[in-house]
Amino acid sequence: MKVKIVEKDILNPLAESKALKLEINPIPENINKISLFDNTKPNANEILNIIADNLNNVNFERVKKPAGAPATPKQLEKATQADLSILAIGDCGSCTTWVILDAIRLEKEKIPTISICSNKFTTFAHELARSNGMENLRIVEIEHPIAAQSREQVERKAEKILPKIKALLSLD
Amino acid sequence: MGNKHLNNKKVKINENACGCLIDDLIGENQDSDKNKNKELINNRLCGSHENDLEVYIDPEIEKVSYDFYMRKLTDGLPIIPPTKEKLLKFLNYTDYNSDDIITILPPKQGKATVEKIAINSIMAGCIPAFMPVIQHAVQALSQDQFNLPGVNATTHPVAICVILNGPISREIAVNSGVGCLGPGNIANATIGRALRLCLINIAGAVPGIGDHATMGSPAKYSFCFGEAENENPWKPLHVERGFNLENSTVTVMAAEAPHNVNDHRSKTAEDLLNTIVNTAAVAGCNNSHVPGEILVIMGPEHAQTVENDGWEKEDVKRYIHENTLVPVELADRGGRKLDEQWMVNGNVRITRSPEDVILVVAGGPGRHTMIAHGFGTSSQSVTLPLTLKDGTLLQSVQDYKKSKNY
Repeated sequence: MKVKIVEKDILNPLAESKALKLEINPIPENINKISLFDNTKPNANEILNIIADNLNNVNFERVKKPAGAPATPKQLEKATQADLSILAIGDCGSCTTWVILDAIRLEKEKIPTISICSNKFTTFAHELARSNGMENLRIVEIEHPIAAQSREQVERKAEKILPKIKALLSLD
Repeated sequence: MGNKHLNNKKVKINENACGCLIDDLIGENQDSDKNKNKELINNRLCGSHENDLEVYIDPEIEKVSYDFYMRKLTDGLPIIPPTKEKLLKFLNYTDYNSDDIITILPPKQGKATVEKIAINSIMAGCIPAFMPVIQHAVQALSQDQFNLPGVNATTHPVAICVILNGPISREIAVNSGVGCLGPGNIANATIGRALRLCLINIAGAVPGIGDHATMGSPAKYSFCFGEAENENPWKPLHVERGFNLENSTVTVMAAEAPHNVNDHRSKTAEDLLNTIVNTAAVAGCNNSHVPGEILVIMGPEHAQTVENDGWEKEDVKRYIHENTLVPVELADRGGRKLDEQWMVNGNVRITRSPEDVILVVAGGPGRHTMIAHGFGTSSQSVTLPLTLKDGTLLQSVQDYKKSKNY
């Protein structure tokens, strides 16, 4: 008689992801107003200011939101009062999370968005956007680190991303 | 490795049969030439099997642990290989179906089915009776106020502290006494670990991928204990939060690893609380720039000293709230700019209100208290009662078996 020793099947601990597919909103040709969504992380405001200084003939709505937590409904509502929203800055785990998740909340309110994240966190940012159904969310990568940097360092890093932002906005 | 042997298995018509009928086997033997092959006459074993007998054994722990480790499915420690037999034992302690989704966990938006929660609990070394606690803890940490997306992804070393109250914590023998935050008890060691494995494998909080803690924390391996309700001179946590003493609850809180408060000399409540307050008032915690909850695990001897002076629990919480202060200059060094609303006469109170002081009593003999700062404003603890699916409060983990008419 032949006896075979068989190991029992091993079960898979990994979960399936909830399948979701959402489209981002197109950026309009004529942009009159941009909301600058500042999560108050160090130098987020400075980066947004440099962007604002370099975009002509556009009005800006400044809105603050928490870094490691969702924007309140009131803050989100304020950020929707524009043709587009630019969110800064995702340069850590929880702040990247809530830059991306709040950008998705805005996209769901039909507001196109651009999220600025540092290069140490953009892989995660894209992955998070994908797992929440928005694979094509616009994420602009800025050089890490952002916090505890001199004014000149922040300016240099922000200026490097201006062409990318202008290209997304179809501006020269 | 896990599936390789599946391909070598015998061919089956279905899960329950090999496809051979006993008549075929007997008929085959009757038709055969008796002189030709005597051996065949007596052979009534199934011809479609490679083997006559298959003996199933548990997978080898070292081999599976290594494979799971290489696939980033563990916390680094060896795991118990999850098998269907073990899973079935865990499913005795839930009234949900195995594929029912308890919640969706970020950042991967993973479906936390009962089966996946159980598989990760098996891996952690849990016994099946822990399943109700883990299932409810997963549900608790997915409530919006807990902010699991932030807690999982943050660079901050926040862990998830699980506090158990009520009779079920005693039924499953969670340690609430001597050494309750240390090694030596299977419930404390594996319930917290099961949650962590759920976060890694269901939520996608893999270190460096979905969990971006700069350094992480030893508390992320397991941080679970029971409240020593019989040693508590005040209301235990679950009663304070609106449940009856006889209800069983699980509380989850986003917390740093605990820090000790050694005070062997204070004889008055105020002196003792001042030692706690001065240990808690530190610049580098999240609470210093975004105030929020703080966990105070008071040793029974400390609690007795405070109570002897006539202090109620509310008095203690208010005192800690009002006196745990960090100077603005030191407080405003965190990730988010300090909001003016938190400044009081040049200082920041690291809690928003007395309710943010989560005061429990646990531990053995000795004059120590432990404090653990929270995640700041960005996360709020959640307490859930252990219930059946229809909301009936559990009296015992055996209630699940009764609900299945065992």
